[in-house]
Amino acid sequence: MVPLLAATAPPPVPSSFSGGAEAIAVLVLLSEFAMLRAPLSRSQVRLYAFQSLAVTALAFFVAATQHVPELYALAGFSFLLKVVFVPGIVLRLLKDARVDLVASNRLGVATMVLLAIALSAFAFFVVGRLPVRSHSLPTPALGLAAAVILVAFLLVMLRSDVVSQAVGFFSLENGVSVASLVVAAGLPLIVEVAFLFDLLVAVVVFGVLMRVHHGRTQSLSTDVLDRLKG
Amino acid sequence: MAAVDLAPAEIQALQVLTIVVFAPFVSGGISHLEARLQGRRGPRILQPYYDLAKLFRKETLLPNDAGWVFVVGPVLAFVCYLVVPMLIPVLTDYPLPLGYMGDILGGGFILGLAGCSVAVAAAETGGPYAQLGSSRAMTFGALIEPSILFVTFTVALITATDLPYAEAAVARASLSQVVRPAHLLAALAFFLVVLNDTGRIPVETHSGTLEFGMIDEARTLEHSGPLLALLQWGSAMKQLILYVILLNVFVAPWGLAGTTSLGAVLLAIPVFLAKAFAVGAVFAVIDNSFSKLRLFKITEFMAAAFLLAILAVLVLYLGSG
Amino acid sequence: MGWDLLVITIAPFVVSLVCWWAPVALGRALTLASGLLSLGLALGLVTARTTTAAAGWLRVDALSVVFLVAVTFLYAATSIFAIGYVRPGGDGTVTTRYNRRFFAGLNLFAWAMAMAPLVNGLALLWVAIEVTTVVSALLVAIDGTDGATEAAWKYVLIASMGLGIALLATVVMYYAGSSVFGAVHELFYPKLLGSAARFPPEVVRLSFVLAVLGYGTKMGLVPVHTWLPDAHSEAPTPISALLSGSLLAVSFYAILRFYQIAQRAIGPTFPREVLLAFGLVSLAVAALYLARQRDMKRLLAYSSIEHMGILAIGMSFSAPIAVVGVLLHVLAHAAAKGTAFFGAGSMLRKFGTKDMTRLKGGVGALPFSGPMLVLAVLGLCAMPPFGMFRSEFLIVSGGLADRHDALVAVLVVLVLLATLGLTWFSTQTMLSPTAEGVLRGETSLWIVGSMVVGLVALAVLGVHPPGQLSDLLRRAAHELGSGA
Repeated sequence: MVPLLAATAPPPVPSSFSGGAEAIAVLVLLSEFAMLRAPLSRSQVRLYAFQSLAVTALAFFVAATQHVPELYALAGFSFLLKVVFVPGIVLRLLKDARVDLVASNRLGVATMVLLAIALSAFAFFVVGRLPVRSHSLPTPALGLAAAVILVAFLLVMLRSDVVSQAVGFFSLENGVSVASLVVAAGLPLIVEVAFLFDLLVAVVVFGVLMRVHHGRTQSLSTDVLDRLKG
Repeated sequence: MAAVDLAPAEIQALQVLTIVVFAPFVSGGISHLEARLQGRRGPRILQPYYDLAKLFRKETLLPNDAGWVFVVGPVLAFVCYLVVPMLIPVLTDYPLPLGYMGDILGGGFILGLAGCSVAVAAAETGGPYAQLGSSRAMTFGALIEPSILFVTFTVALITATDLPYAEAAVARASLSQVVRPAHLLAALAFFLVVLNDTGRIPVETHSGTLEFGMIDEARTLEHSGPLLALLQWGSAMKQLILYVILLNVFVAPWGLAGTTSLGAVLLAIPVFLAKAFAVGAVFAVIDNSFSKLRLFKITEFMAAAFLLAILAVLVLYLGSG
Repeated sequence: MGWDLLVITIAPFVVSLVCWWAPVALGRALTLASGLLSLGLALGLVTARTTTAAAGWLRVDALSVVFLVAVTFLYAATSIFAIGYVRPGGDGTVTTRYNRRFFAGLNLFAWAMAMAPLVNGLALLWVAIEVTTVVSALLVAIDGTDGATEAAWKYVLIASMGLGIALLATVVMYYAGSSVFGAVHELFYPKLLGSAARFPPEVVRLSFVLAVLGYGTKMGLVPVHTWLPDAHSEAPTPISALLSGSLLAVSFYAILRFYQIAQRAIGPTFPREVLLAFGLVSLAVAALYLARQRDMKRLLAYSSIEHMGILAIGMSFSAPIAVVGVLLHVLAHAAAKGTAFFGAGSMLRKFGTKDMTRLKGGVGALPFSGPMLVLAVLGLCAMPPFGMFRSEFLIVSGGLADRHDALVAVLVVLVLLATLGLTWFSTQTMLSPTAEGVLRGETSLWIVGSMVVGLVALAVLGVHPPGQLSDLLRRAAHELGSGA
């Protein structure tokens, strides 16, 4: 698969700028992995805030290099929403619920991480086959975004507590954000704002339902949600 | 001032000497710093030398059931640690003749041979803790191996060779090479590998006395006298060798001698030691800030290292990152 | 032009706000008025040509009108039904607060669903459908029981994840578009359709698969259907009717929009194969699950999955007549499933349970809504003279015209299997003798009224669809690229 002593020329070196941008995109993926294995709900939410910060940084980066002024406003708005507001809401909920440790792994951590690695590799291979050229961010960031999305699915499926699942959805949205920064940086502002507003509404609904769930079951685990089947 | 030029062979010898001579010094420095961080006065920096001298003066006691492997193991390991510095850029940024003797994998194999011979020697005694230590060390060694391999692949993909010198030269060439994600990820993965291989928190408490938690440390429990001295010296050398690879290949390949002149090469020694102390300080801080993982949780640590290494390859192979 | 679009855009939204504050009776009356008004305006659009409004952000063509009619019809019928179903008093759960929340939510939900076919462009389409998710999730949870909470959580989580994928599909399609239009464009349909032939095919293909997966989650395609039976069974019955009859249709509409672009960009073969695969699996799984349901509303939910499968299979036939059948099926399904859920609600109000092992003698106990429920279920089984018979007949003949004989045989067998489950329900619970002590009588005339409306519409669609409607369906099929 990978030549050990390759006779071919080494791949071209990315410029410092795009290398840096891609490193940030890698951070987005790494924080997704960290969320997958984080044992504390609180640290999961903080990781989400960190991930959103990285996404916002990418948005600023695109705004600066592409000279799309409305992207600054958008990045600022998404910073407020995803780094400050959403984590704030969920952390407050956690504080009220007085639940810290949610041992909700359905698989061992190492197994989960290996599964996630396999999924990321799959995402990379699939995206690598697409004839996509980006003008705003290094193209490999698209593979990273796809990997984030798949790992977010894993997070939702393999962790059985409401916070993990909600954070999984929010971080899925982060992955889509990165993808849209890569391939659709010029999306009209009104559409972007609509997307963000939607996320805001979704967050509120998730918050309401988490509260209801905790109010009824006195726990954040979803293991009790097994009444409806068939 | 007339520059005195050194022959390549002399520089090569000097590299080995640097490792041999200064390894206990670096170990002592780190222990000292750790003690300070914990609010203790700590041992002198030169303490490891005194320990070695004392051990060499003592007699060698062999356990009843031990055979020749018990004696040969530590010696072989020591020899291995003498060989590896010839392959890696300790002092110079240009390749030395013997540097082509083996690539990163070759160096890895020799280090692996050293670890294996220590483990076999420890297992030879039949002492329960020593055996426990060797079996654990080999298990975790095998688990960390994929990460090392993928770091090697990354290097190979970046430089189209897998010589440590070439990777260092590429990293030195431009800032772009250092901030590219593949390089950062590989460096980080290798950092975790070093954490594991030098027996540091969160894998192992290297200064602990509790046998149940031991991995590498437990292997030397049955040895005594000069053999123990060789083992301790060897483990200090191994640590320094890993620092060399981490620093001069990945993280900070600067401050190496660019010419063959005596002055430049000699100047490279203190610079390198300073870098080694800096990275040692990082390890000491980590040692003090985290707690040891439970034995069964160490696989998570391995998984993290593997994740970073494989991401490096993926980013590079599929996206020229 | 276009004032009618603006009215549909504004009226339900304003009514929703009013319901939140106003006295309950006013809220109910306004809901009914808004439902009927929207339906009237939508019917007025049946004969209209392509119309745009609001600087191009609103646009209807024949395809959108079909779905707009499906949504607004059910909106109107449900607002009739809800007046009878959600009544203060009784078991004490229906308070003024509940009433306000419920009717505000109902209007908002209907508004979001009506917006989906009205807006122009894939981006706003996604926004509208995401709004339907969040509103309907709260409505599913509104009863506050353990089951409702569980269903709402599963629903909002799974549907949101699916819509995340749909958003990705939209972004990918945007990229495909920007290869022709440059970096900034609005994803408007006419532009996309006009230039689709020049889009990079691999990108469009990826976008289409993602769209089917993403919107398919909301449409209830197997294997991403898992939220659907829970949400349908635990939601208040009016919401179940809207979920099943309108929401699923609207999600199907989103897939059709992607289909429209995809078949111009990469030809119809690949999109059809994808839809066929999802459709067959959905139909098969639903038919099997239908046979073992004990919960009345879950049974209807699986019947929805079955019909969504039929829609997907119908789209995979290339004959124009099949596409006309699919669009007719959307309308007929809205009418039949709405009526069936209304009847189920009537049973629920009468007997206080959804468990079919404890429901006996529905026809005996409910003199009007009982028989009408049986008729609606027969309609769902595609019995003549109801609309679904006509639509499935069109689909099947389209398949035969296409020489997909084996496929059609499978389709018919699976539909028959599904019929088994549904008829078992009607014979066991509806036609069995009524238990002692159950008083004969309806719980509300509003419920009966809503069912009459639904059944009449279903029968009209089956017996003789109005000429304008047939014309509309043909034009919509043409827009889908099958009428050439």
